[in-house]
Amino acid sequence: MTNTAKDKADAAEVVVSGKGVGKTFAGGSVVALEGANFDIERGKFISLVGPSGCGKSTLLRLVAGLIDRSSGELKVHGTSVKGPRQDISMMFQKATLLEWRTAIENVLLPTEVHRKPTRDDRTRALELLGMVGLKDFAFSYPAQLSGGMQQRVALARLLQTGADILLLDEPFGALDEFTREHLNVELMRIQADVGATTLFVTHNISEAIFLADEVFVMTSRPGRIAKVVDVNLPRPRTLKMQVEAEFNHLVEEVREALGAF
Amino acid sequence: MAVAEEITEAGAADAPRRGNVWRRRLLTHLAIFLAIVTLWETGVRAGWLDELFFPRPTDILVSFWRIYISQGNVWYHLYISLGLVLAGFVGGSLLGVGLGAIVGFNPLMRRFLQPYVIVLEATPRIAVAPLLIAILGFGAQSKISIIVLVCFFAPFINTLSGVVNVSPEKLELFRSLGVSKLQTLRKLVLPDAVPVIMAGERLAMTAALTGVLVAEFIQRDVGIGSLILTYTRNLNMASAFACIFTLTIIGFAIFKGMEIADKRIAFWNHEEGRERLSARRRRAFEAKGRA
Ligand SMILES: Nc1ncnc2c1ncn2[C@@H]1O[C@H](COP(=O)(O)OP(=O)(O)OP(=O)(O)O)[C@@H](O)[C@H]1O
Ligand SMILES: [Mg+2]
Repeated sequence: MTNTAKDKADAAEVVVSGKGVGKTFAGGSVVALEGANFDIERGKFISLVGPSGCGKSTLLRLVAGLIDRSSGELKVHGTSVKGPRQDISMMFQKATLLEWRTAIENVLLPTEVHRKPTRDDRTRALELLGMVGLKDFAFSYPAQLSGGMQQRVALARLLQTGADILLLDEPFGALDEFTREHLNVELMRIQADVGATTLFVTHNISEAIFLADEVFVMTSRPGRIAKVVDVNLPRPRTLKMQVEAEFNHLVEEVREALGAF
Repeated sequence: MAVAEEITEAGAADAPRRGNVWRRRLLTHLAIFLAIVTLWETGVRAGWLDELFFPRPTDILVSFWRIYISQGNVWYHLYISLGLVLAGFVGGSLLGVGLGAIVGFNPLMRRFLQPYVIVLEATPRIAVAPLLIAILGFGAQSKISIIVLVCFFAPFINTLSGVVNVSPEKLELFRSLGVSKLQTLRKLVLPDAVPVIMAGERLAMTAALTGVLVAEFIQRDVGIGSLILTYTRNLNMASAFACIFTLTIIGFAIFKGMEIADKRIAFWNHEEGRERLSARRRRAFEAKGRA
């Protein structure tokens, strides 16, 4: 309960903000993203949805500091993004685990590249593996895990960084529908638990709405944020909500913004 | 293949059957081997094969006895040759892996060195051997450099391609974690290239064995290659064959040894390796928890 009280107190704090953010490739001939304006408040879950090539990954990689923007201003925690930073962590469509490391060693990687892991770090890593339901697989190598389990290890690794801004680029896109729904529910629970601000890219409109506080609807050529749809469904969310009228209303709204009717 | 699958799929309950399969296979191998040897022996005795070039298997056996036990002269030559193989292999590998990593990790260097790599790849390395002897003179150092030369290339090219072909996704992950270049090389690029490097090392080992023979054929003083040359010139073919079969056994041992090394070093590519290490990690962890 104190959590929600705290949430309300910080509600206005903007952690990521973009003013006219643009990105061009190939010497300016490809406009991947144009004039993106947005404010993301602390602890919010944001879904980015849009057709292929509309610049979702580009926007995420800009925020992560993996690529430089061509125009505009992009701030994280009030400072301009100049490169990768420790308060942001990113997860990709592929699990990208290191095959020669066990699950727990993979989870510890973000710690290990900066300092020697302590006993506390290892305890935390085990805890996170437990959180994603892999307590019994901490010492398994990636090749001994299924695709869905590998992606959960990647999720635990994402959380091990301790970053308070999480960027997920179609993290469960390569998985089957059941596993994906299951992991989505887990992700929501964990995100609420750690209170991290989250940007989540997906192709799937229902998934985008189901997870998010706000949906950034993007359109292509040039890539831009066409509309921000507020999702005021109560939390915790259940899969059943997806068949309710209010949910379908939101789907309609997103589709409209996409021009997909 | 079918037999192998049958064996791996056989469970504990099938153990007796598995034993039978093994025994049958062993007997078949033995029968074929004996048939070849007998055919050879009778061929020579009947005069179908020229005894000058094809000594009787029984004579070869006698030669084995002589060079290993009664005279015992082969040991010294083996010691010299295998010492050279080891030195050349280690030198060539270190050079190959080191340069491969440096060139692979450095795009600028790669661009400018690419043409020379192609030229080097197209040139039979052994052709340079006489030149090396001219430069370094006769003796161990020129022999070792010949072996280094023939060993160098496979580890070099494999390390290079292993380093270049690291998945861009993993590199991006490391970049997003803010990992330094050196750490990325140590924790991502090199381990990722290990299986390919090991494949290169296997080729290098085979090349080293050939290399030492060529080196010893060119400068005939000591070593198993020189010994073969001496025996053949003296028309002591039985002893020459004994030396050649010795090399067969060494070659086979090296091949098996490299296979075992690969399973240990690139363990994550092998099912048993993963399971062994996984269990060991778990035990180590549990032991620490109890302490
Ligand atoms: N490194 C790059 N070089 C050149 N063009 C690029 C590069 N990265 C992205 N683009 C271009 O920018 C546009 C947006 O790409 P982006 O990857 O952001 O799309 P996306 O919305 O993530 O698509 P998808 O849903 O298929 O992943 C595309 O037209 C793409 O071709
Ligand atoms: Mg994308």
